[in-house]
Amino acid sequence: MHGFAGAAVAAMIVALPFGPAVAQNLRPDQQSFRALYKELVETNTTLSAGDCTLAARRMAAHLKTASYPDHDLHIFTAPGHPKEGGLVAVLPGSDPKAKAILLLAHLDVVEAKREDWTRDPFKLVEEGGYFYGRGTADDKSLAAVWVDIMVHFKRDRVAHRRPLKLALTCGEETNGAFNGAKWLAANQRALIDAAFGLTEGGWGSMDEKGKRIALGINAGEKLSQNYQLEVTNPGGHSMRPVKDNAITRLAAGLLKIGAYDFPIESTDASREYFSRMAPLTGGEMGVAMAQFSRAPHGGKAAAVLAGDPRYNAMMRTTCVATLINGGHATNALPQRVTANVNCRIFPGTTIETVRGKLQDLVGDSQIKITAQAARSEPSKAPPLVDAVMKPIISEAAKRWPGIPVIPQLEIGATDASFMTPAGIPTYGFTAMFFEPDGSRLHGLNERIRANVLYEGRDYLTDLVKIYAQ
Amino acid sequence: MRTFVTAALALSFTLPALAQTRPDQQRFRALYKELIETNTTLSAGDCTLAAQKMAAHLKTAGYPDADLHIFTAPGHPKEGGLVAVLHGTDSKAKAILLLGHLDVVEARRADWTRDPFVLVEEGGYFYGRGTADMKAQVAAWVDTMVRLKEEGFKPRRSIKMALTCGEETSTAFNGAAWLASHERALIDAEFALNEGGGGRMDEKGKPLIVSVQAAEKFPQNYQLEVTNPGGHSSRPVPNNAIYHLAAGLTKISLYQFPFEASDITKAYFGKMAPQVGGEMGKAMTQFSQGDMSAAKILATDPSYNSMLHTTCIPTLLSAGHANNALPQRADANINCRIFPGTSPEAVRAKLQELVGDSEIKVTVADTRSEVPKGPQPLSPKIFKPVETVAAKMWPSLPVVPLMSAGATDGAFLSPVGIPTYGVSGMFSDPDGNGAHGLNERLRVKSVYDGRDFLYQIVKVYAQAK
Repeated sequence: MHGFAGAAVAAMIVALPFGPAVAQNLRPDQQSFRALYKELVETNTTLSAGDCTLAARRMAAHLKTASYPDHDLHIFTAPGHPKEGGLVAVLPGSDPKAKAILLLAHLDVVEAKREDWTRDPFKLVEEGGYFYGRGTADDKSLAAVWVDIMVHFKRDRVAHRRPLKLALTCGEETNGAFNGAKWLAANQRALIDAAFGLTEGGWGSMDEKGKRIALGINAGEKLSQNYQLEVTNPGGHSMRPVKDNAITRLAAGLLKIGAYDFPIESTDASREYFSRMAPLTGGEMGVAMAQFSRAPHGGKAAAVLAGDPRYNAMMRTTCVATLINGGHATNALPQRVTANVNCRIFPGTTIETVRGKLQDLVGDSQIKITAQAARSEPSKAPPLVDAVMKPIISEAAKRWPGIPVIPQLEIGATDASFMTPAGIPTYGFTAMFFEPDGSRLHGLNERIRANVLYEGRDYLTDLVKIYAQ
Repeated sequence: MRTFVTAALALSFTLPALAQTRPDQQRFRALYKELIETNTTLSAGDCTLAAQKMAAHLKTAGYPDADLHIFTAPGHPKEGGLVAVLHGTDSKAKAILLLGHLDVVEARRADWTRDPFVLVEEGGYFYGRGTADMKAQVAAWVDTMVRLKEEGFKPRRSIKMALTCGEETSTAFNGAAWLASHERALIDAEFALNEGGGGRMDEKGKPLIVSVQAAEKFPQNYQLEVTNPGGHSSRPVPNNAIYHLAAGLTKISLYQFPFEASDITKAYFGKMAPQVGGEMGKAMTQFSQGDMSAAKILATDPSYNSMLHTTCIPTLLSAGHANNALPQRADANINCRIFPGTSPEAVRAKLQELVGDSEIKVTVADTRSEVPKGPQPLSPKIFKPVETVAAKMWPSLPVVPLMSAGATDGAFLSPVGIPTYGVSGMFSDPDGNGAHGLNERLRVKSVYDGRDFLYQIVKVYAQAK
């Protein structure tokens, strides 16, 4: 309730025709949350130049200030990965028999080059109602909310039967990097043991104007798999070009992959998703959703849905070139050129099948295609049981009447894929809404609406209270 | 003649080829090996160290310290070089300058069959980075300077040698450019001899022609850049920076710049024709007589093709910032070799037109030197000695002027009044010898013969009036 009253006051102040919209209008608890969020965004946690361990220490310091004893704060690093550490914090509950709730988020962020961004990606900038910065959405919004909830429960002595466990980890964003969630599941299983966990994913959707459409919860996720394309060549002096050029060869292969659309597929969950989204979306797209949910392969419905990148990704395996690198001097013919193609594989298709398809597509045996190390085994989403779903639905109905909670196929990959197989069913749900641009996750000028973040925080705080009791 | 005798011995006795070399060749080989095995790449090498090592040989031969100038420019401690002087007897005669670059193109051990920084002799070839470009000639220059001093040779003209760094990287510190602007008096000469000439063999190793490089194409890099808002790779969108770039590169690769001819290239192919014979020889004759339709036959050979028109090819490629993010930036470097008479800007505009995509920005990446004004005058004073020595070593081989497709440091010396010619007497294979590429190599015989040729011709030039 505290949250509601505060929101109303904040709304009244915003309505006044003067004064900057920032900070002053926030409740004191929002101001301290904003400072914590800012600290986290401004702690660079990229693999190339960042330090997750530092971020973990900074978050632990907030918990210590809130009087968590040292023995409940576990900063961990694995040998050889001093900057890819994380934090597990435990707040015991009143019922020693009750199993815990695990609040999971990743500290690391995707690389961001200052020269490519409009603003410094490692400064929190609030502008036009948005927070800008790398990680503002993915996943420091959630990480900051979890830390804030842990502080709130301890400091304000919030009643809770179940223990709360917080796990902040590194390496979610980079296939092949040390993954803290995977490491905890394998090495500290007892420490993170819980009845269930909550993590990123299942982002809600809103239109460009900020009107909420639906909340999502993950009901399965696509498998993220990288493939390397490699062309080698004897090279030579660039003054003496020859027809067979490694760059040109790779370029031709990538264009063929770029021009290809994998076949349309569907699952029970994806058909239900489109069926329920249809009336909320309306228009031509709504009609296509309804048609697709009845007959995915009939008519033009899939083609219409494919016009929206989000829906396209929910209907098929996608593969896209993300990295290329080649050559060794400006004045030498390239001897080696590589590309990374990132695929998001629809449940039920194997990694090797997709590799074979890519090799067919490029139609050039000089382009060697190999599957990179798999991030995780393909995993099934946990069943959407009432104990988890009912509080989510009832809280949503209170705050956002008419906004449904719709299970969806997660097109990204999350660390739930390590927890659920380890016996901690982990749900992708955040109560934060993204616009059709996907909040620019992993891209330039990543952002989240400030009100989405504050309201999502209020929602999650109350949700965790319900779960904890 | 002596070289031919030793080659015959090697065949009849099947002793290791190494043992058959003359003692003076063995000493030269050790110097060449030392130079190859001194890494002089920009990334990990040290030209200054190579310069010091070469200076040590000259000092041992009796050069006073006053005539050995190791130089480095501020901020470039490992990109130094050496100027050495053997004084002439005629104080009024201008010097001749022997120019060479110490640095080599990058080479990754993982990509090569053998270690690029170990001299390996195998199957009649020397393998290693710089074996062809251009440590064989640098070793021959140093070896010549050593021998002349040891012999007590008194040249009429002073003989100067300048070994520099940075020739291979257009954005790096360039020692030849630095000498031209900072030490003009030290290197002053009537003309300079440099890489770029030599000769061509057929694929069996038979010499076809001796060449003197008197003109060169202009090297110019262009950057192609595509930027994009990027995003999460789980959510691909049709507008992808890599695909834009790939499509542009494909279009450039399909384009052929128009064929052109100059007096030098016509003369070159005219003299080459009888040596090559057959259909190719016929096409050369036609081309030399102004029939441009013959060019497409010549163009089937990459070395000839490079002399026929401007060429542009992608050499570097880079895009993306994470494997799970849509690329925000994709870049390629296009390396062009511009036929004399065409401006860098005209080529840029052509590339922009070819890609046909306003998302791809094509810009001039860097400028190595001024665009040369035209071919160096090839007077009999330069040309005759080459003919004379070549006639002794390779009777019946024609000597021709050459426009090289590659760029040399002559581009820095010619504008300051030291006309620079490519002369080496080292014959290269039709495949380009892996120069700048993998498994760079030069025939053992080419190296030793070239060394003999250079030693003799330096003496001729040094005594000439």
